[in-house]
Amino acid sequence: MPMSRRCIPYTPRTRELGQSVFALVTTAGVHLRAQEPFEVAGDNSWREIPGDVQAGDLMVTHDHYDHRDADQDINCVFPIDRLRELAAGEVIGGVAEKHLGFMGFSQNLRDLYERVAPEMARIILHTNADAVLLTAG
Amino acid sequence: MVGIPTGLISIVPENSKQMGPPRIFTPKDFKLGNCLGGPFQVELQRKVLRDALSRWEAREEAGTLWEREYAEYTGYDDSWKKVLEEG
Repeated sequence: MPMSRRCIPYTPRTRELGQSVFALVTTAGVHLRAQEPFEVAGDNSWREIPGDVQAGDLMVTHDHYDHRDADQDINCVFPIDRLRELAAGEVIGGVAEKHLGFMGFSQNLRDLYERVAPEMARIILHTNADAVLLTAG
Repeated sequence: MVGIPTGLISIVPENSKQMGPPRIFTPKDFKLGNCLGGPFQVELQRKVLRDALSRWEAREEAGTLWEREYAEYTGYDDSWKKVLEEG
């Protein structure tokens, strides 16, 4: 059943914070250095980022914000190290086995709404993630 | 499709709210590219993340926007450069 664009899709949490495994999904243009960069003129593709990624293996491709700070420290926009620290301190249940990077600048909003967002959600739902934290640039 | 509880950290809440995010947290006056703070501002990044997660954890009305100021964020603090120089 298609959802009205006026409603706010809200899923209540069913676990406590300390039991919840978090995945990161970002529109800040984050991807592995080994992956194909985003097309900055407009791109609806995403990149899968493994859960055990090292911060130094990540980079940003994005022309619509100044990412020089994120180039130095990816945690400015993709807090993978901070999330791991919280998991180690048992503040959260863990870090998901997969995260998603997206560029976020697109002229094809219909494709974004009808295909891309649902597919990205399905990917996350098929992981061990109980929750998602969304970030942008 | 079953949903998954999500929280958004946004520094442009006026834009983000148009999309109807279920939970939105805004560190006030952070510049673009500093969603959680500046480079190597570890304590600040940690604090912002903790605060965002606390909003995820709270059972409040869908679409509620929370904002918080962080006095330690200057936006143009370049002390991280010294950290890199000192190795």
